[in-house]
Amino acid sequence: MSDAAIHLVRSRVQGSLVQLFRIRIRGVSLVEAMAFVCLSVLVIGVYFYKANAGQESARIKDLDREIQQEDQQVRRLREQLTTLQQPARIERLSQQYLNLGPMGAQQEAAPEDLTDIARRGPPPPPRDFAKLAHPATEPPK
Amino acid sequence: MMREDEAAYRAPPSLQQIWRRIVEQVWRVEHAFERSRTANRAVDDTRVRIFGVLTLFALGFIFLSVKAGAVALFSHAEGDGVEATAPVEQRADLTDRNGMLLALDVPHYGVYVDSRDLWDVSEARNGLVDVLPNIQRARLDKVLTAGKRELLINGLTADQRDRVHDLGLPGVTFEEEARRSYPLGQQAAHIIGYADPSGKGLAGAERGLDGVIRDAAGGNGAIATSIDLRVQGALESELHRAMTDFSAVNAMGVVTNINTGEVLALASLPDFDPNNRGASDPANLVNHTGASVYEMGSTFKMFTFAMALDSHSADLNMVVDASHPLHLGPRIIHDFDATNKQMTMEDVFLVSSNIGTARIALKAGKDNMYKYFKSFGLFDPAKIELAESTRPIVPRDWSESTVASVSFGANISVSPLSVAQAMGGIFNGGNMVPLTIRKHPSGDHVDGRQVISPETSLTMLGLMRQNVLRGTGSKADAPGLRVGGKTGSAEKPEKGGYARNKLVTSFAAIFPTDGPVGTPRYLVLVMLDEPKPNATTYGFQTAGWNAAPTAGRVIDRIAPFVGVQRAKASMEASRVAAAPVHEEQTGAPH
Repeated sequence: MSDAAIHLVRSRVQGSLVQLFRIRIRGVSLVEAMAFVCLSVLVIGVYFYKANAGQESARIKDLDREIQQEDQQVRRLREQLTTLQQPARIERLSQQYLNLGPMGAQQEAAPEDLTDIARRGPPPPPRDFAKLAHPATEPPK
Repeated sequence: MMREDEAAYRAPPSLQQIWRRIVEQVWRVEHAFERSRTANRAVDDTRVRIFGVLTLFALGFIFLSVKAGAVALFSHAEGDGVEATAPVEQRADLTDRNGMLLALDVPHYGVYVDSRDLWDVSEARNGLVDVLPNIQRARLDKVLTAGKRELLINGLTADQRDRVHDLGLPGVTFEEEARRSYPLGQQAAHIIGYADPSGKGLAGAERGLDGVIRDAAGGNGAIATSIDLRVQGALESELHRAMTDFSAVNAMGVVTNINTGEVLALASLPDFDPNNRGASDPANLVNHTGASVYEMGSTFKMFTFAMALDSHSADLNMVVDASHPLHLGPRIIHDFDATNKQMTMEDVFLVSSNIGTARIALKAGKDNMYKYFKSFGLFDPAKIELAESTRPIVPRDWSESTVASVSFGANISVSPLSVAQAMGGIFNGGNMVPLTIRKHPSGDHVDGRQVISPETSLTMLGLMRQNVLRGTGSKADAPGLRVGGKTGSAEKPEKGGYARNKLVTSFAAIFPTDGPVGTPRYLVLVMLDEPKPNATTYGFQTAGWNAAPTAGRVIDRIAPFVGVQRAKASMEASRVAAAPVHEEQTGAPH
């Protein structure tokens, strides 16, 4: 592009700008009115943006609080579960109420031995602890 | 042709040209007024300037508003940020190796009362006593009449807080406080340990893993320890039984995986409740497995035999003269139950002869003994994360008398953890690995330091098994589990000598003893402090009668948990409580 062409374009742009600044609507410069409108749109836009963000933020806070409360509840339940499941307690209760003790070696069986165990027949019937605790006073006739 | 190319090509501007253009533009802006005046267009010039300023402000405002919107919508200040900056007092959960909880932070609540806001002090007092029956009355009265806001009580659970809240008392407020909870109570108390209210670990794993626990706080992860709660439960149960049956002062036990050094269970009785440790006797807070040292007695013969075999200064068929007491200067070493005969090295182990063991150690020499015992870690605190691991008491002067004494576990005091660590190195193929209370990530092999050859290790395993089948440890046999072990009964040191009737008995067991090097094996160490004889022991109080059967029962119970199968052939050969126990030698130097 030659220097003359550049000069021509520049002078036209400058001319157009000057024209733009000269345009007035009811005595108010068009440029200033446009700037004011832009400013107003920006202010309103940011206001709605911020208000919306505030609502979202409040909702997120509520959800966070709910999650935290649920989490704490879960932790408390896990704590109680662990207390109830502690080995010493289970052992004490099983001895006290079920008369159970540690499993002996003879009570263990490998899966491949199950057939042999089944062939041997059923185990002897369990002892009647109720009868042992309250024996009959008279012999059966 | 050349001219057209030159016209089409325009060389890029040089730095000097760019600088000159910038200066020209600045000059133009600076002299805009003059130019306008010259052109009689001053008004236009002012408008251009106002427009420029407006544009600048508008751009700035747009930038700020976009940034503010982005911050409002996309900020993570209330999400991840909170987690990243976890308060100092927060601690991660502690679990056993299977994920069972051992310790956790649970929110508790402090109750504050501002007596100025109370309408009816008497009503408030009665209501608070109803819902908090254990509250200190003096404290309650003081707070209700203080005339200011004061802490009434802290550590309330959520249920307790709700009950207080439901009273609807004005002036009563709550503040949340993080509090460490130990849901197992006394179970595993010594290995879990405890932390202070500020969140600093003070004992056990809470102290040993303090940094790790704090670092993991705030996330959802938990720190997995090496403990297996099922094994821990069985160990504690049997130790409680032994302590009761034999009226012992203390009972201690350790179970480890000797290939990885993981501590599966650790107990020191009597114990305490970490949730309320102030209520315990301070003596119960001491973890004797690590913080106390003992002369172990004949259990130490394992180390002497491993040293002698590995240094080739002896072999199992070597004949040792134990037919008469050993004279070392003015000192005479006897056997408690003198066999008065020459015997093989294996028999020396099986009858636990002090004379025979001392002769084997003297033959190996003090240099060998010092070198091997040091490599077994017996002269240093056990390497483990627990701060309780204490330094042993080691003799300074290694005379012949010292060598003889140390060979059967006298004159040297070590912690049970040190014994457990050293045994692991001897029976896992000679690979000395440190103990750990953290779960091993995967695999069963840990690189360590080779202290004896794999062959010596296998020989020692056979010797331990023979001691349970034919020697002093027969009551420790568990059907089908191929248990090997060594008893130890040491008289306790007293002022100027040893107390003949106050023993520390121990049984150090390994199972299973068969299989090649690398087979998963476990150590069970049981120690009783001052056990008393009872009807079942026929008046004896040595380890074969109390510590050995206790260890046997522990092994019987934990084998399914650690995955050791019972061998049928071995079950037939098992002789639980079948044969009389050879009376062993006590570890006191005579």
